[in-house]
Amino acid sequence: MNTITLQQVLPQVFADRDRITSDVWHQSLEWKKGERVLIEAASGTGKSSLCSYIYGYRNDYQGIICFDGKNIKGLSVDDWVNIRQSSLSMLFQELRLFPELSAWENVQFKNTLTNFKQKKEIKVWFEALGIADKWDVPLGKLSFGQQQRVALMRALCQPFDFIFLDEPVSHLDEENGRIMAAVLGEEADKQGAGIVVTSIGKHLELDYDITLKL
Amino acid sequence: MRLVWKLLRSHVSVSQLAGFFLANLCGMVIVLLSIQFYNDVLPVFTGGDSFLKKDYLIVSKKVSTLGSFVGKSRTFSERDKEEIEAQPFTKGVGAFTPSQFKVSAGVGMEQVGLQMSTAMFFESVPDKYVDVNLDKWHFTPGEETIPIIIPRNYLNLYNFGFAQSRSLPQLSEGVMGMINLEIRISGRGMRDTFKGNIVGFSDRLNTILVPESFMNWANQTYAAGEVKEPSRLIVEVNNPADDRIARFFKDKGYETEDDKLDAGKTTWFLKLIVGIVMAVGLVISALSFYILMLSIFLLLQKNSTKLENLLLVGYSPAKVALPYQFLTVGLNAVVLLLAVGLVWLLRGSYLDKLQNLLPGLEGGMQWPMLVIGFLLFVLVSVFNVLAVRRKINGLIKK
Repeated sequence: MNTITLQQVLPQVFADRDRITSDVWHQSLEWKKGERVLIEAASGTGKSSLCSYIYGYRNDYQGIICFDGKNIKGLSVDDWVNIRQSSLSMLFQELRLFPELSAWENVQFKNTLTNFKQKKEIKVWFEALGIADKWDVPLGKLSFGQQQRVALMRALCQPFDFIFLDEPVSHLDEENGRIMAAVLGEEADKQGAGIVVTSIGKHLELDYDITLKL
Repeated sequence: MRLVWKLLRSHVSVSQLAGFFLANLCGMVIVLLSIQFYNDVLPVFTGGDSFLKKDYLIVSKKVSTLGSFVGKSRTFSERDKEEIEAQPFTKGVGAFTPSQFKVSAGVGMEQVGLQMSTAMFFESVPDKYVDVNLDKWHFTPGEETIPIIIPRNYLNLYNFGFAQSRSLPQLSEGVMGMINLEIRISGRGMRDTFKGNIVGFSDRLNTILVPESFMNWANQTYAAGEVKEPSRLIVEVNNPADDRIARFFKDKGYETEDDKLDAGKTTWFLKLIVGIVMAVGLVISALSFYILMLSIFLLLQKNSTKLENLLLVGYSPAKVALPYQFLTVGLNAVVLLLAVGLVWLLRGSYLDKLQNLLPGLEGGMQWPMLVIGFLLFVLVSVFNVLAVRRKINGLIKK
């Protein structure tokens, strides 16, 4: 997947608003593979909605979203399974991890599906992100900030052309945010992938090519 | 797969699955047992006369007191025979040919110092009505051995009456087949001895049958060879339940040995009862299937967030459905195996009882039971698999 385009996309709940001032809603945008995009937003402006539209689990929007020029409303279940395994990765705001599995199992869970990373590579991440001691701890026992780091590792355990991160550092201090940005940046560079980050205040520190206000 | 199962097994209700398991087992055992029982018991009603063609009737004229006095003919003329042959329900008519010479038969068991001898008679029907293996059922002049079919009653008379009162050994049909009867035939001043070899027992023919070839030869040799009219006919029919048969014979004043009809009725009742029992079993199976589906749906509902997350992580619906499908198919397979095992156990016990009652009974085939069990398993499993898959696809569309 090389481009993601948004044409006049607007959440249906915003349809009856008279005036929309946004760099994203009701605009024509194109994100290319390899670009780093920051979407700044106040809460309630629909950044999680945007992520869910692009990741294909909600379609209550007007306008057209295309991957490589193909309208995503026409994709089949199998297409989505493929895209989620090999083209598009997502770090959800609500993380969507499994609390009954350990931190390692949560990552392994994705990795067994894609067979993308070695166990020792994942171990290096755990150490870099400072949660190596939580390897076998059930995820439910981790703080939200620690869970965010596990979610990042899970999101990186797959080939992707674009990675979306929905408020990835909301519960992290600056130092950990920097480490996270480094890990993410390294992996994205290796894959030549685009990064789209949303943020309501604290930014993940990357060299963004584009900054948009939602 | 291991992790998926680890995730999804929470909320699995053991009690609900146990409920399904027992109910399905119950239904399956009832269905399979009724099929097996039917196959085992059916030969009791239909077996026995396997050497005679299936749908035949034996017809004789009524013996009445008045008729005996006035000397009314009790034999069938050629015209009577043709008339029966012309009936729409008739496939073929054969005559019983009686022997016109004197016969006596003896059994000698010198070890026990026993000699029995009795005067008797022979009859024959055309060979095409007899299904005994043809190399056993033939006679050519000059041979010493005559194949014979005797009524099973004779054996019972000996076994349960004579042998018991004299403390003699009881004989099975197999042993009887090995005993040579000494047959003495006399007529026209001649007297010869033959060996009689019992090749079959009949529940329905109250006569002693020999091959037609022997009868023709013996009637010519030991009697004048004049042709006597038969007193009984064997009529092969298309369908013994045809009511035209009964009406015709009643009109003509003929009698049929109608235990064939009784056997038909009994088989019909057996079928009916087995059918009802099987239907009950199927209903129980269907209900158990319903329990399973409810339980699985409840499980899916409780795990719906997890399932949704699995799908969003990139697991395909097929992969997500797999653990539940394995669970249900596995349960069904265990049910099938247990049900077959139980049926075998139960069959063992009822076969013992039946064999006390009917020594010759060997039990019917088992493959229909196994095949139907397997088909039920496949059917239920396919439904389960599809239903789970549909439910998970439903989650995606949400």
